[in-house]
This record gives sequence, C-alpha cells and structure tokens, in this order.
Amino acid sequence: MKAQYSRGVLGVSRSLLLAIYSLFALFPLIWMIIISFKSDAEMFTTTFIFHPTLSNYYSVLVGTDYLKRFLDNLIVSVGAVIVSVIVGVPGAYALARYNFKGRESLAFTILSFKFAPEILVILPLFMIYQKLHLYDTYLGLIWVYQLITLPLLIWVLRGYFEDISLEIEQAAQLEGYGWFHVFQKILLPLIMPGLVSAGLLAFIFAWNSFTFSLLLSGFKIQTVTVASLRYVASDTVHYGYMAVAAAIATLPEIILALLIQKHLVRGLSFGAVKG
Amino acid sequence: MAHIEICNVKKKFKKTIAIDDISLDIKDNEFFVLFGPAGAGKTTTLNIIAGIAFPDQGYVKIDGKIVNLLEPAKRNVSMVFENYALYPHLTVYDNIASPMRSPTFKKDEAYIKQEIERVTAILGISKLLDRLPKQLSNGQKQRVALGRCLVRKPNVFLMDEPLAHLDAKLRHFMRAELKEMQSNFNTTTIYVTHDYMEALSLGDRIGILNNGKIEQIGVGDDIFYRPANEFIAKMMGEPEINILEIELVQEAAKFGLRIFNMDKVFELPRDVEAAFRRKVPNDVDMGIRANDIEISISKKSDEYIHGTVYSIEPIGNKSVLIIAVNDIQIRTIVPNDFSAELDSDIYMKINYKNAIYFDRNTKAFIFRHENEDLSEKVI
Amino acid sequence: MAELILDHLCKMYDSEKKKGDKAEIAVNDLNLKCKDGEFIGILGPSGCGKTTTLRMIAGLEEITSGGIFIGERKINNVEPKDRNVGLAFEDYALYPPLTVYDNIAFNMRARKINDVDIKREISRIAPLMKIEKLLQKRPAELSGGQKQRVNIARAIIRKPKLLLLDEPLSHLDGKMRQVLRTEIKRLHNEIKCTTIIVTHDQLEAMSLADRIAIMNNGKLQQFGTPLEIYESPQNEFVAGFIGEPPMNLNRVTVIKLGDSLQFAFEDSQVRIAVPAKYNDVLKNGMVVKMGIRPTDFIINNPNGKGGTEVKVAVFENLGEEKRISIRIGEEYLTIVTADEKRYHPGDMIKIEVKDDRAHIFDISTGERLSLKN
Repeated sequence: MKAQYSRGVLGVSRSLLLAIYSLFALFPLIWMIIISFKSDAEMFTTTFIFHPTLSNYYSVLVGTDYLKRFLDNLIVSVGAVIVSVIVGVPGAYALARYNFKGRESLAFTILSFKFAPEILVILPLFMIYQKLHLYDTYLGLIWVYQLITLPLLIWVLRGYFEDISLEIEQAAQLEGYGWFHVFQKILLPLIMPGLVSAGLLAFIFAWNSFTFSLLLSGFKIQTVTVASLRYVASDTVHYGYMAVAAAIATLPEIILALLIQKHLVRGLSFGAVKG
Repeated sequence: MAHIEICNVKKKFKKTIAIDDISLDIKDNEFFVLFGPAGAGKTTTLNIIAGIAFPDQGYVKIDGKIVNLLEPAKRNVSMVFENYALYPHLTVYDNIASPMRSPTFKKDEAYIKQEIERVTAILGISKLLDRLPKQLSNGQKQRVALGRCLVRKPNVFLMDEPLAHLDAKLRHFMRAELKEMQSNFNTTTIYVTHDYMEALSLGDRIGILNNGKIEQIGVGDDIFYRPANEFIAKMMGEPEINILEIELVQEAAKFGLRIFNMDKVFELPRDVEAAFRRKVPNDVDMGIRANDIEISISKKSDEYIHGTVYSIEPIGNKSVLIIAVNDIQIRTIVPNDFSAELDSDIYMKINYKNAIYFDRNTKAFIFRHENEDLSEKVI
Repeated sequence: MAELILDHLCKMYDSEKKKGDKAEIAVNDLNLKCKDGEFIGILGPSGCGKTTTLRMIAGLEEITSGGIFIGERKINNVEPKDRNVGLAFEDYALYPPLTVYDNIAFNMRARKINDVDIKREISRIAPLMKIEKLLQKRPAELSGGQKQRVNIARAIIRKPKLLLLDEPLSHLDGKMRQVLRTEIKRLHNEIKCTTIIVTHDQLEAMSLADRIAIMNNGKLQQFGTPLEIYESPQNEFVAGFIGEPPMNLNRVTVIKLGDSLQFAFEDSQVRIAVPAKYNDVLKNGMVVKMGIRPTDFIINNPNGKGGTEVKVAVFENLGEEKRISIRIGEEYLTIVTADEKRYHPGDMIKIEVKDDRAHIFDISTGERLSLKN
C-alpha cells in the first residue's frame, strides 16, 4: 500500500515537472506564432487577446522575395545532405572496413569539423571563395555546408557499418552476389535507420546555418536565416514580419522532427544489427 | 562435388605468418576435417579456398583448374560461418532462399520453394520460416545457416566451427545429426573444428593444423593411435595422454625400459623391442593413456609402481585419479566409487602394449605395438 | 573454519515495472547444512540463484527472509567485513597499480598488521598457490591462471572462516582449467577451510566438491555427494544436468507384452524391458519419463536373455570411446561403449539396460518415482 501511494505521488510530481518544462520550452515558439498574427498597432499593447490578422503574412510572402529565399535555403540544404550521403556512405564504409595507416587520424579530423566554430574559419574562407569565384553560388554554399553535414553522417554510418559483421558480406559474396548487389540488398537496408535519422538531422543543421550563408553569399542567394535579418532595420524592428519569416522557416524542421522523432534516438545509437 | 587442392600456400598478416606452406589434396566427395587449436590458421585456410582471402604464395585448384584469380562468387563454394552470418533483416525463408536468388545462381521461385521445403524438413526447422534471426535460439540459427549452405549444389561445402557456440547437449545432438546427413551430402566438404570428438566422428580424413603448418593427415584411427608427434597425441582423448620420460637399457642384447629412475627394467612388447634394436633412438618419451594404467591399493606384483594419490576427481561414471610419482603427475581412470586419502600410497601398472613412443628431442612418433584390430582402416 | 547453515533462506526482488507483476523470487526457501571444512559446490544453470546465494553469505546482498549461521552465530545483519569470509570473484578484481605482494597484503595492511607478520604470512601462502615467483609482478603481466591463483591467495590469507569462490575457472581455457581444478582441490585439503564454489559447469562441481547443492529457478533440487547425485538423481532436472554425455530422457508409455511390462517410445517401434524392481509401481498404460545413461547399456550381450533389437543410425568412433545413436522419433537414444567393435549405420544390434539402471520420473512433477507405493 505504502509503495503504491508513494508511486502515485512520484507519478504526479513527475508529470507536473514535465508540464512545466514543456511550457518553458515551447513558449518562445508559441509566442512567435502569436506575434506573426498581430498587426503593428496591437504589437506592444496586447498580449494574448488581440485581433489576428494575415497582413504580416501577406506582406512578407507576397511583398518580398521571401519565398525565393526559402527556396534557396531548401536547395542548399537538400543539396548539402545529398552530397554528404554520396560522399559519406563510401567514406564511412572505408573507415569501418579497411585498416589503413592514419585511419583514426582521418576519422578524428572529419569529426573535428564539427568542433570548429564557424566564425573562426569564416574569414579565410571568404577570401578563398572570392578567389575561386564561389562567392554567392549554390555550389559554394553546398560545399561549405559539408563541414556541418558530413561529420555527422560519417560518424553515425561508420558505427552502423562496424556493427554489420564482415562475414555477412562475405556470405553474400559467396552466394554469387556482386558488389553492387551486396550494397543494395544487404548493406543499405541495414544502415537505413542510421542513414535516415542522420540525414534528417544533418538537414536540420544545414537549414539552420547562419554564419556561412551570411558571409559567403550575397544578393543572388540568401538563406532564410539571413533574409530574416532584413527586418531588423536601423530604426525599428519589424517584429511582425520577423515572426512570420521565422515561423515559416521553422515549419519544415518541426514537421521533419515530428516525423523522425521516433527514429532519432534509435537511429543515432549504434548496435542496431544483432544476430 | 569437386576435387579441391591447395598447393604450397603461404599467407602473412602484417608480421605474423598465418599459413606456412600448406598443401592439401581433398578428394571428390570426401568429408575432410581441418583440426587444430585456436589460432592455428584453420579459418584462414577456409577463407583462401573460398576466395575471400588471398594467398601470398601458392595456389588453389578446383577440379584441376587454378582459381586464385576467380572471384568468390564464381567459385561456387558454399560456406557456414562460425557466427552464422545470417542476414538480420530477412526472414528464415528469405535467408535460405538468398543463394538461389543471386544473379550467378538464379533459380525460379517454384524451385526455390521446393528446395527450401526439402532442406528445412531434414533440419527440423520447417516451422521457423517466417521468423527473423533475432527471434531464433543459437541452435536454430545454426540450423538455418546449415540450411542456407546445403540448399545449393556447390563444388564444396566449407564449414567453419558450426557447432562451436552450442551448449554441450545440443552439440552432441547436432554432431550425430550431421553424421547421419553426411551420406546424403554427395559433395566434397571441408569442416573446421577445434573439438577432437567432432574431428574423429565426422572426418573421412583429418588434417591437423598447428601454427600454420600441417602436422599430420590421416583417418581417425591413424591420428588417435599413431599420432605424428606428442602435440597431436595430447590433443586427442580425455583425459590428456601422459607423456613420460623413459630410459632404454640393454640387458643381454635385449632392450627394456626404465621409468621414474627406478631400478626395475620393464619388458617391452616384442615388435617394439625389435624396432628399437634395428634403429636405436636417442632419448625416448612414452605416451600412455589413462585407460591403459591399472590401479591397485596394494603392490600386487613387481610390475606395480609406487606413487601417492595427488587428487581424485569424479566425472560421472568414472573418476580421474592423479598419481604423483617423484613429483610427476600421471592421470589414470578409476571407478566412480573409488575413494582414498590424499597423499596416501597407491600403486599403478602400465600396459606397455598400448604405449606410444616418441623421440624426446624432436617430439616425433617413433613406434608403437600393433594390435590386429587397430589396423581396420576407414575409407 | 566453521559449520555453515542456511535456514529457509529467501531472496526476492521487488518488481517495479508494472503493478500486479509478481515479485521475482531469486532464492526460494534454501536449506543447507555444511560441515566444518567441507567443500560445497552450488551448481546450476545461469539465473538459478547460485550467485545470489553466495552474495548473501558474503553479505553483499540483503536477505529477504531466513537466516545464515556460521557456527552458532547468526550473521544476517553482520557487515561483510566483519563476517570473516574470504571471497574470490569471477573477474579477479586485482588492484592494477599494486604488485601481487601488495595486492595480497592490502587487507592486512588495512587491519594495521605489521610488516613482519605480513611477510611471514605471504611466505606461507605463496608456495601453496605456487605464486612465489610472481610476487613482484603487476596484474597486467600475469596470465589468467596466475591471476586466479593470486585472487585465491588474497582470499585465504586472512584465514577466513569461510572461503567463497564465484565461478573461479570460467575465464580459463581447457588446460589451465584442469590444472587449477586439481590445485584448488589440493589446497582445500591442506588448509581445510570450509569452501563454497559456485559454478554452472557440472564437471567442475563433480570433481571439486565433497557435496553438491544443485539449484534451478531459485529452488534446491538435490544436495548430496557427486556419487549420490550421479547414481540417484532426485528429479528429471538433476538427471539431465549431471553427466557427460547427458542422460537419455524419453517420454514412454508402459505396456503389457505377454507376461512382462515394456516401455514403449512415441513415434518408434523400440521397446525396453521394465526392470523387475518397478513391477509393483508401474501399471499398464502409465506414462512416465525414463532416464538411461548412455554408459548403462550392454550391446549384444552373449549372456543376455532379453534385449531389444534396434537399428544403428549413427556410429561414432571417438578414440577410446564409441558412440552409437539410435533414432527415436525426432530424437536420439545415445549409447556409449568402450567395445572395440565397429558398427555401421543400418546394423541391427541388441541392447539391454545394465543392472536395471533405468531411472523413472513422474511425467508431470519430474520427481523420481519411489519404489514403495
């Protein structure tokens, strides 16, 4: 009886704590969405009770080139992830299977990209990009985004490949499957959870990237992160417009995160292959 | 079914020599066992035959053709791995069907279904076809791996310690089942193990591998009764054979042996004595199995040697009695109700007829007394 | 050195997962009386409660109910360090930065014993465990067998009342295992300390222990000498667990054939004569579990009056031992013999059970069928 009672109290206090934390975490998001529906007039005078209006949305989406920026961001992020997958999968396989000199140094170097603060490398990169005419190009951004997306993919997939025992590949070879078949029929299905979750996480990081696109792209290409800055004008901050820009920018991420949340933890932890 | 040959193969991993000049000639349809301790090079040898490892020197021949440069897929060999290597994301049915769906050996689905039914019935796994590997016990996984191997008609079956990770009961059962199935295989088989019972039971011939070298090839009886050296003698049989230093002495033109520095000279069997007289060996070791030593609490005759009880270890229907003679431990067998105080006096008589004589320096086999019944060879 | 008594010992783990789940009973009403100086083996498959029992004796695990007595003293609530028990773990737990000498001396130094006495004790113990040459080495330089000997030396140097060994040989390879087994047995004979060894290896328990307590699912199955357990297993579990190769255990029906009773197997034509001693207990139509050890068959007995004709399915020539397997439905009946004669699959042989050595167990409880009604 006593155990049950204390278990009940524990359960309720646990739920209470979770509720408080959720409120704390979600509040900025909720507030931002509320603001996006508020007109300038009511911005500073009301809190939760106001007259919602779509004028902000109209101004931003129709009135500016926001949608083009959204598309730019999409192209660059998706492009970066695709390149990372194409490069990362074979790279992870090599790191997992082949024993070559300097293997661990190479692996650590790739991981270290994620450690380096973007601000640190941005200035030299700026100059290099100017020289290479990569400034303000899709290719330029996709390439530099590899610093964000590639390490994650390689690190996760290497773990997956290491967990697939070499004998499974050898068994497939002996059964008469060529290299491509082995990859397609055996390896791919087994690394899929890792590939999907790491890929989606990489997309989210690329989508959010600010520093690189700020300094390495100019007028032709701008990501929404940078584009939203525009609303911070020198005299006022147009909160309504900014809220709209931010809200729409986060939309893809929220949808994706909700979709993959089940797979995120499981997919990112190794040891997925047993037996 | 094919004739498999390995000729003067050598392989190194970094600085370690894994295989040091091995040659094997395995006949068509033979069940050949490759036996040796861990690290001897057995799996490497198998991998070289399969094509998933490459020899540094030497070549592999299948039916007379050199296949060194032939891909594993094209060699048509079927392998059971020690850890089964089942595809985790495929059902048992799809796992066994896999070799029949590859581009090289493709068969139609009706044929596949029929073959799977046949093989799974023999192995007793017909009810598991829909399960995934992670839902199977070790014994079931082992049979699925066997099924996947047996469902093909390859040049050779390669089996790498397939019974290693099963508990004792299951191992005995599967060994008997494998033996029963053998006659239906109709395919050359190379079977790797470190368990001497598996080797003696299953092999038409046994090749003993140690430190990358072949030490002996022969039928079970040859290996057990005429081991090529002391190492092989020690690997076969439970409890381990006793290897004792003996001294050959000549008494009136006849050789006898002295043991444990005792004065008594024991008589050698006639043919052994004659062999020693023909070619006098330098230093001799004698290998004698626990079964060939008689135990008595009293000194029944001159033939009995005095020792003390070092330990008595019951193992079920009998007990292992270790006798200490001059600080040397000798393993013998006594009935399971035998009891004695530790360090009490005990006497042992050796049956020299079954002793095996080795050269003490080279450890190589010299001679043994031949019984008529030991000559029956298994083809 | 003292008598160890386990009195209605129980250990339960509370299951917090779901309400309504029964609590897990790890050790269920265990009663054991060990004589002073005896070598006891607690044997059973993994999860049977043997390690938990050992840990309760050591004081590393709380006792749910029942009592543990060393001599007259109830030690349920005595701290591990005050129980005067020497424990050698499965994985050695030697202190890596200390030499072997310091490892063994550790406990004595903690008790503020002076160095001269410590040196004398270690000089006494080291030859017993054959580690004199290892005293100045560090654990990393030792082999598995050497580490285990140091482990045991460390446990016995405190002259404990009780020596507890938890699967001490499981991480060693075949040869080292056998050598160490013999050494542990001789050591016990010298120091005559009440010792308890926990193992899942029946061969180990049989060769080392004076008496063995077999456990399964937390309950004691049988407590007796190796010979008693081997010759008269109390139930089906013990019968099948002890003995290499394992006892043949088959479900049979008693049928009346003419004047005699016979055991009939399912899915098979094979019949085995019922030993005369069971004539009063077994009736026509009864279904029982029959156990016959592979070594208890006689093949083609020239003096035999009975015997059943069976077909050899598998013949294995294993050196000094030959094994014949007979097909019984999906299973095999295994026969082990030392006869030199070779057989081939398909040969017909006559088999008899030696000296009526068939064991009969109740089909539902698994308990040994008693001869009195």
